[in-house]
Amino acid sequence: IFFYPGTVKMHMAVYLVAMCRAVPVNDLLDRASQRSDKMHSLSTLLTQEMDSHFPPYGRMQMPRPADCHTSILQTPNDKEQALQVSESDLMSLARSLLRGWVDPLAVLSTNAITLPHPAKSSISSKIQELQEHSKSLADGLDILSGKMGPAAQTISFLPYTGGTDLGQDRVTILNKFNFLLSCLRRDSHKIDSFLKVLRCRAAKLQPELC
Amino acid sequence: SVCDARMRTHLGLVMLCVMSAAGVCSSTSAPESPRQFDCRSREKETFSCWWEPGSDGGLPTEYRLFYEIEKGVRECPDYVSAGENSCFFDKRHTSFWAEYIMMVVATNALGNASAQFQIPDVMNYVKPDPPVNVTVVVNSSAPSPFLEIRWKSPPNVDVRTGWVTPKYELRVKQNDSKEWKVSTVDIGAQTFFNFHNVEHGLLYMVQVRCNLDYGKWSEWSNTIFAKIPKHHQLEKYFWIFVFVFSLIPLLTAMYILVLKRKVVKQCLLPPVPGPKIKGVDVHLLKSGQSEDVVNALTGNQNFPPMAAWTEQVEDFLLVSDSDEWLLTDTFASEEKKDIFIIPASLHLGLEIQCGDSTVDLNTWEKTDDSKEETKSNFLNTEPINLPIEKQECLSGEEVSIQPNTSYVDIQQRPTLTDYSRVKEVNGDTILILNEEEIPHGSDAVKVKREVSVPDDYSRVKEVNSDVVFLEKGDSADGCCKKKGDHYTDWTNQKPIMPHDSELSKGFCSKMIANGYVDSVPSFSVK
Repeated sequence: IFFYPGTVKMHMAVYLVAMCRAVPVNDLLDRASQRSDKMHSLSTLLTQEMDSHFPPYGRMQMPRPADCHTSILQTPNDKEQALQVSESDLMSLARSLLRGWVDPLAVLSTNAITLPHPAKSSISSKIQELQEHSKSLADGLDILSGKMGPAAQTISFLPYTGGTDLGQDRVTILNKFNFLLSCLRRDSHKIDSFLKVLRCRAAKLQPELC
Repeated sequence: SVCDARMRTHLGLVMLCVMSAAGVCSSTSAPESPRQFDCRSREKETFSCWWEPGSDGGLPTEYRLFYEIEKGVRECPDYVSAGENSCFFDKRHTSFWAEYIMMVVATNALGNASAQFQIPDVMNYVKPDPPVNVTVVVNSSAPSPFLEIRWKSPPNVDVRTGWVTPKYELRVKQNDSKEWKVSTVDIGAQTFFNFHNVEHGLLYMVQVRCNLDYGKWSEWSNTIFAKIPKHHQLEKYFWIFVFVFSLIPLLTAMYILVLKRKVVKQCLLPPVPGPKIKGVDVHLLKSGQSEDVVNALTGNQNFPPMAAWTEQVEDFLLVSDSDEWLLTDTFASEEKKDIFIIPASLHLGLEIQCGDSTVDLNTWEKTDDSKEETKSNFLNTEPINLPIEKQECLSGEEVSIQPNTSYVDIQQRPTLTDYSRVKEVNGDTILILNEEEIPHGSDAVKVKREVSVPDDYSRVKEVNSDVVFLEKGDSADGCCKKKGDHYTDWTNQKPIMPHDSELSKGFCSKMIANGYVDSVPSFSVK
């Protein structure tokens, strides 16, 4: 029995970590990939919902993916590259992307309520759901990364500099909203692909998962 | 002159016409820029793009594609694999989440034309092939039938690495219906599905499709037909029908059986009549004491003790043929004085008075011609000594014989007159007369050779119902032939009676007259 609060806290932390270790990594990865799958599904639905009532961009006005605030992060772009990246790096990439979308999601959530779009309520609820999934997944990946190498602990900083205001006129607002959603869909796809590759690689004893 | 000026003008016009005509016939131009650009990735590893060419300007036109991705401009690596006016990008040239800027250039002899296409993300163009090996099996084991649908992912999709996650969707339709019932397979990599919303006797069409990472759906697979058999249901209903209808009479029969169980029990298990002995109470037998049992069986008569017998035997009636015997019968006077004659009408089952017996004797005597002399003796109506109670009968008083349970059965014999010739008895009542036993003074004896009870009962060995058994050559001869005396004492006893043999032996010595006598309808007495 320890009487000092400091040591008690430390022992509590150790106890919690020990408890989390009780859940196998495969199971944690499975849950994480399910969460990321749900996130990607939601972001895909959002872009489709936006496009149903919004004419597609002209060639000149279409924003380029390089303009996404997360494009500075170097990620594998095809299957071979993804299979060659280490597990820790894959985890780091996923966590970095996830961390980078916390602020933009808040901006999207704020602007969705007043979005000049007929499906704004549905869009707004989906964005809120996305936020919840994102938070939960980030917490889970924090625990998972503790079981992996030091590279997994490294998170790249991807700041969002777009500001909270999307524009003044309807077209600008809708364009920016649409652009953000396309960037979100791209990054959710990356997170989902990386985590699923990670899950398959960790579950080599259970080929039926992959 | 004027004609010369007109001729020059006409020549000019003709020249102009010829020159312009030559230009129309051989006009070519630079090609038009291609239109419509589209790409497709079938497995998230490679992709292809197509363009629609514009007018070629009448001249052979060459199309080339140049793409720019992040850094540098490259040309299409493969113009052939994907068909005409296409470009195929293999694995090494495919990048996802990266922007492709495509430029298609049409070139002919007279010029060129180009168009630019922007592909922000090839992932947006992922559209797989439809699933393969679709099989549908009708399962009829459950309460309702269902379709077991199975398929396989498209062969070019690699599902082992996790890079690609296929999702499936199927649809089922009745053959004659127009609307499809769509079901989404929720679990990602699951390649089977049980479709339950089907009915008997109908033909169904099944199709499956898939997508990769929430991209575009593939085309629907080939249609698979499945027919659900019909007779199974009817057969099931038929047997349920038969079962229920056969149950109704069974239940009715059981109900009736329960209601009339007593009657049924009477029919099937008729009561067996128990043995009944006249005068025997079954319950008495069950619960009674041995005394009661014996009384019941023996007709409620009390057998006298042995000693009583000897006392009682003193009184009996002597009957003989000759007077001499009567006079000189020391034996008789010594011991016995009386010989009892049991009247013919004596039935122990009846109430008989001693007086009646006297009357009977009188009447009896009257009918017998040859026996007048012995009337007096004969009329010596000493009361019959039945070893039972009523000893007052000894003094001539009336005797009442206990009627109830008769131990001895007394019967009338209308034809008996002379019993002296009886030798043995066979069967029930047949007696054989014995020549040797003709008493000396039996001249008066009328031997009626009848099958009847003899008058000489000294040699009675055993009595069986109505039969009298005589002993041959017994010692009874001696005493019994004493001066031709005849001791007619007879007994007709039931075989149950004890002391049979003793009786016959001791008869002559003691002139025992046990009261168990069967009346002889007639006997000869002198």
